[in-house]
Amino acid sequence: MGLEQYKGDMGMCCRCSCCKFIPMQQVQGHQYSTVCPSISRFDFHAYSGGGRLNIGTAMLDGSLKYTDKLLHIVYNCQMCGACGVSCNYAMDMEVQEPLNEIRIKCVEDGKTNPALEKVIKGLRKQGSMVPAAGKRGAWASGLKLKNVARDKADVLFHVGCLTSYDKDMHKLAIATAKILKKAGVDFGIAGDNETCCGGRAYQMGYEKDFLRQAKKNMAMIKKAGVKTVVTACADGYQAFKVLYDKFGLKKDLEVLHISEYIDRLIKSGKLKLRKKTGMAVTYHDPCRLGRMGEPWIHWKGKKIPGDRFVFDPPKEYRRGSNGVYEPPRDVLKSIPGLRLTEMTRIKEYAWCCGAGGGVGESNPGFAVWTARERIEEAASTGAEAMVTACPWCEKTFNEAIKESGSSLKVYDIVELVENAL
Amino acid sequence: MALNKDVYKAFEDVVGPEYISNDPAMMPAYHQVQFAAIILPGNTAEVQAIVKLCNKYKLAFRAVCTGWTGMFPPDIIYIDLRRMNRIVEINEKNMYAVIEPYVITAQLQAELFKRGLHMNLKGAGSNCTAMLRGHGHLDQTTSGDDRNHLAIEWVTPEGHIVHSGAAGSVDEWFCGDGPGPSLRSILTSAVPPGVTPGVFTKAAIKLYHWPGPTRFPIQGTSPNYSLSAIPANFMARYYSFPSVEKMWNAEIKLGENEICFELMGFNVSMVAANITTSNEEDERVFQEMNREVRGPGFFVIIAGNSAADFEYKKKVLEQIVGENDGQSLKSVEDPRIEGILLCQCIRVSASIRETFRAGGAFNSIPVMGQRDLTIRWAVGAGKAKEPLIEKGLIVPDGGAFFGWGVEQGHLGKTEIFCKFDPANPVAKEAVEKWQQEQSKRAFDERYFAMTMGPQDEIGPALANYHLWWKKVTEALDPNHTSPDAGALV
Ligand SMILES: Cc1cc2nc3c(=O)[nH]c(=O)nc-3n(C[C@H](O)[C@H](O)[C@H](O)COP(=O)(O)OP(=O)(O)OC[C@H]3O[C@@H](n4cnc5c(N)ncnc54)[C@H](O)[C@@H]3O)c2cc1C
Ligand code: SF4
Ligand code: SF4
Repeated sequence: MGLEQYKGDMGMCCRCSCCKFIPMQQVQGHQYSTVCPSISRFDFHAYSGGGRLNIGTAMLDGSLKYTDKLLHIVYNCQMCGACGVSCNYAMDMEVQEPLNEIRIKCVEDGKTNPALEKVIKGLRKQGSMVPAAGKRGAWASGLKLKNVARDKADVLFHVGCLTSYDKDMHKLAIATAKILKKAGVDFGIAGDNETCCGGRAYQMGYEKDFLRQAKKNMAMIKKAGVKTVVTACADGYQAFKVLYDKFGLKKDLEVLHISEYIDRLIKSGKLKLRKKTGMAVTYHDPCRLGRMGEPWIHWKGKKIPGDRFVFDPPKEYRRGSNGVYEPPRDVLKSIPGLRLTEMTRIKEYAWCCGAGGGVGESNPGFAVWTARERIEEAASTGAEAMVTACPWCEKTFNEAIKESGSSLKVYDIVELVENAL
Repeated sequence: MALNKDVYKAFEDVVGPEYISNDPAMMPAYHQVQFAAIILPGNTAEVQAIVKLCNKYKLAFRAVCTGWTGMFPPDIIYIDLRRMNRIVEINEKNMYAVIEPYVITAQLQAELFKRGLHMNLKGAGSNCTAMLRGHGHLDQTTSGDDRNHLAIEWVTPEGHIVHSGAAGSVDEWFCGDGPGPSLRSILTSAVPPGVTPGVFTKAAIKLYHWPGPTRFPIQGTSPNYSLSAIPANFMARYYSFPSVEKMWNAEIKLGENEICFELMGFNVSMVAANITTSNEEDERVFQEMNREVRGPGFFVIIAGNSAADFEYKKKVLEQIVGENDGQSLKSVEDPRIEGILLCQCIRVSASIRETFRAGGAFNSIPVMGQRDLTIRWAVGAGKAKEPLIEKGLIVPDGGAFFGWGVEQGHLGKTEIFCKFDPANPVAKEAVEKWQQEQSKRAFDERYFAMTMGPQDEIGPALANYHLWWKKVTEALDPNHTSPDAGALV
């Protein structure tokens, strides 16, 4: 059905522009009141959630031909879901789903972005979203971790492409392993057999490549007999938890982000954070752990003919209410001495780091522009560091810091937990 | 009509290539209309240059702030003022703010709250520009922007920059009528269809005292926001009455006593829409509330400047409501609902949940005037909705109308709309017919004249204002750069 199934939703757009801002009652002033990086950077209405839906409608009725500008609009979007949250405060309609379908349609029509094509070629060849230099499991050498390909384990720690292959990110995998060990968790990794979750391919519009990766992963998980997957990457989390479920692949697999798992370990007394820190931090909600990490809701129904956009059975929308917001905050609050100050745009209306939707690859300048805005917002809280829970965010923020000369530091939540052990 | 290369280049030279487009991909995104070009100026000088080019090349133009409303003919130069988004000044001492077109109300209001000030909130919503003229929920105490607009910066249809009021003679914006030129009668009209030709590039708006907190204590995640506590000396209630007469009498008395921060003549269907987060919940809650109310009603917010002031206002409110056999809707007394309504009515202005959420469209008949008169007409317009409801063509709302007090009730707004599915042609046609018939009845029975109606019929009854307006626009816009500007509201 593709884009067609969202014809009615796209037709509901009333052009109110709420999708450009954080929810109205959360607006705390002129600054930090916008939520969509794309319209904020490129200004034309076409770059907003609403503008994109109108484009989707025109694509369906065949009145729109592909132009360079159209592709610029399509690929300069972080697929961050913020527009949908702000829209769905008041409206009953899908926003993010049609945006996904517009991309998928472009890819199916062969209207791809060269940088993303390159990434996907790499994925097809090497099972990775980043260039695969060396062995995927190299970061774990000497750590004596179980490998689920040969060892039985309760939990699979899915590391993710960036953390596996980017040497600067190895510290996150090592910290995660250390924390899980300390808590006595029976876990294993897939090591060199790990393959990309496919989530970022989906964001880029490559649905088939995503599905191939998802099936590979679920086959591996089935074979290994693990019941729980823990990811330390927000993209991985959303892929396993939400997208695999959307496509009926997740079954009864339990999927947890490392921040949820650590929170659980702390609350059940299995992990104690003892070391004091005097650090003042702020927390950045990664889009795919927060609003986009909200569980998938399976629904099939028909519009009830008549005056309203309502369905039989009633449709429940994913409005961003049930993302993972509190667990990472609770973890941070349990680090002795750490002071957490919130930014203006948080939780379901957090500003994206800039790397989502393939923008980090297709338009790195725009990704860094987006990250710089967040760096500035973080610094405005008086925090010395911003904590995130996704390696893609950390990477993009560090690039922005380098470019802007900001003195802000960026940590992943596992780094702070490791330090507090 | 495609612009020729040289003409396009002339516009491009004003704003730079990044801020102009005539790409076909842009057009459906904006309004499903093929414009000659979409252009995004960054300041008044650029607006002026664009307008001058439009005159030079005999091209029509239309400017927008957020672009939510308005009718846009093809082939025009569409001026999107999104980049002009600065709060130029908040003058606390003289209680005015000078803003550019793309400052939305939510932004300005949040800045004002921090300073103990607030402003008129357009009924359309805080997602709209704070700069254009509008009326809304808080009119009871803030009046509408036809009063609130002070000095204005206006690029005329020929491309002159005019500063009206105080800004015309000094670098101050405190007054709309002098010591510089007063153009109030022309410049107040920016709500369609009565759009003043030219482009407003800055406006000073009047500010008011805000007795509430610097920020509402919001809890929860979207769309389930509520307040962790009702702000001190604030109270929201909904009262229903056994008859329209009693409701109106209470409304007048409350105005005379000047105790309501807001008096919003919501019907329960709108209350239900505001406090619910989906269409299904809306329908259920409406039915529940409809059973609970005595008849027509209104929503009030009391805001005390002190505990004593709050107590006094509450007492007066109770007395007036009691004298008119009013009854408070129990569900609104629940602090959770009360908090939601406080936010909806002060910070959000609710209109999306009330209008577009249900079916995606609504057609409305809004009128400013004397509430007692317009309410009488609205009762009839509500009755005329009933057959449409019975046929399932519009969303059932009990045939309700709404409105609000302006300036403690000596003026008022009354409005009635039908919500429907625009993809259903039968519903669309039925609603348009209802709208025409009820507007005509308003005129024939001399309640009021809808200036969106046939000008040649209405004009003569209103001192031929339409001919005068034509003359004014002719003089202001000899090159016809403003597409049919409609009528003055
Ligand atoms: C659901 C809904 C409810 C509404 N309820 C109310 C209400 O209760 N009270 C009320 O007053 N209004 C109401 N309106 C109309 C409303 O006032 C306007 O839509 C809104 O305030 C205008 O703000 P905007 O940013 O959306 O303007 P836009 O949509 O950008 O512009 C509105 C019109 O003004 C013209 N215009 C815009 N900017 C300029 C400028 N700088 N110079 C010259 N002309 C310009 C545009 O061409 C357009 O015709 C409602 C509209 C909707 C859709
Ligand atoms: S997508 Fe939603 S929020 Fe954006 S303009 Fe359309 S209706 Fe409004
Ligand atoms: S997904 Fe994010 S970047 Fe894309 S339009 Fe929506 S808010 Fe903007």
